[in-house]
Amino acid sequence: MTISISDPHFEDKTKAIEVLYQVIDPELFVNVIDLGLIYDLNMETEGKIIVTMTLSTPHCPMGEAITMGVENALSAAFPGKETEIILTWEPAWDFTRLTEEGKRQLDIMS
Amino acid sequence: MSNINIAKAPENYAVLPFYATAAFFFLLLSLLLFISAGELGGHYFHPRLLAIVHTATLGWGTMIIYGASYELLPVLCENDLYSSPLALCSWMVLTAGILLLAPSFWFFSTGPVMITGGALVLLSALLFLFNTIRTAGSCRAYTAQKCFMISAAVWLVITASIGLLLAVNLRYPFLQVNHLQILKLHAHAGIAGWFLQLVTGVSAKLIPMFLLGKSTKKGLLTTAFILQNAGLLLFMADGFTIRALFYGLLIIAGIICWLCYLYDAFRSRVRKAIDLPMQHTALSFICLLLSVIMIPFVWHDGKWGVLYGTLILLGWITAIILGKTFKTLPFIIWNQRYKHLNGKVNVPLPKQLYSSPLLKFQYGSYILALLTLCTGIITRHHLTLQIAAGIWIVTALSYNVNVLKIIFHKR
Repeated sequence: MTISISDPHFEDKTKAIEVLYQVIDPELFVNVIDLGLIYDLNMETEGKIIVTMTLSTPHCPMGEAITMGVENALSAAFPGKETEIILTWEPAWDFTRLTEEGKRQLDIMS
Repeated sequence: MSNINIAKAPENYAVLPFYATAAFFFLLLSLLLFISAGELGGHYFHPRLLAIVHTATLGWGTMIIYGASYELLPVLCENDLYSSPLALCSWMVLTAGILLLAPSFWFFSTGPVMITGGALVLLSALLFLFNTIRTAGSCRAYTAQKCFMISAAVWLVITASIGLLLAVNLRYPFLQVNHLQILKLHAHAGIAGWFLQLVTGVSAKLIPMFLLGKSTKKGLLTTAFILQNAGLLLFMADGFTIRALFYGLLIIAGIICWLCYLYDAFRSRVRKAIDLPMQHTALSFICLLLSVIMIPFVWHDGKWGVLYGTLILLGWITAIILGKTFKTLPFIIWNQRYKHLNGKVNVPLPKQLYSSPLLKFQYGSYILALLTLCTGIITRHHLTLQIAAGIWIVTALSYNVNVLKIIFHKR
């Protein structure tokens, strides 16, 4: 996920990404940003953050822990805002969504 | 949150009792092996061996497979578990059944206690089947993995039903055919129906997930499902005749299709490192292949029959459990203790909930225990068998320590 510098919410979105680095997928031991699980951050609605995200495996038993982690992290960073999470399997997550850091942490084959 | 079902994990009481009880039965099984090491070189139809086999298949294998299945069914069926209270009931009934059945075999006390034990095991199998069908039934997507889960549960009911008939027959003989022939059908319905099909279904989902690999060859799994079931159905219908070798070949072809699917996922994996729990799994496949190679020798009873059973129960099944416990249990506990804290504060990782050096030790002692036991069975050397049983106790103790460390983990 990239944020344009001309985005009116650039500062808040950068802050959101910063805190989402703290949310770890407990199975893969990598944060949700480096895993590429976060597809979109929408802050257009006043007092609301809408996160469109996926999971590395649909119906993973850790899914709730990950979405809860995203919610917790954003609620703490933006106390006045409500967080809404939209889970999607389209497009499905695959390894190409990993950042270089994510690949390094997973010791992925080149 | 969107209304997509992310399959909430079932209640802990539906899962944890199975892990704790299985760990206890694994230790008990090792102690029983130690006490009766001398019997391992003989015929499998020996009261003590029957007690050991039922402790292994029900107390150890089936017990933990129930627990893991209740945790993983939502993943496979993409739906919440139908009933956690029903899962707990199946644990109570299964535990009670084994506690009656195993001593009955040990002291060869045929009659009401053994029959009641068999009936309770059958009841637990029916509860498991009902929960599986209700969980899988409301799922729209067809997957071979889901079919394997249901067929495995059906085969467990068949296995337990035949077992109950055999228990009745020991006290009130009514079967027209040889008891041992029916016993072989009972054993193979359990091995190739219950254990094989369940392991096939679950591993086809989990192994690609753990390795970050995937196979597009879904047809291999469908073929595996057809071949494994066709072979077993023909075997059950025709009995232990010379044609059984052909039926065995069908099942073996089904195993090969499944392993090819897993190999394809393994080859396409992006994660280089294979952790210790996955190494246990790799070892389990070697034991399965060795036991398959042994099938022609099983025709002749005696030590080869015992070796075949050992490779299946203490090789294939046990290696899978010893590894997969540490791929599931820490996550279950972590979910309970830390899920709500994720993203708020620094939390330990699930793998930090157990001792990795102890797991490494367990892996080494397990390999040594299995090799020594197989050597003892082949050579019929009493001291070797006794040493092997001692190493099994060490393995079981190290497993128990780690399992208890996870279950009683405090924040």
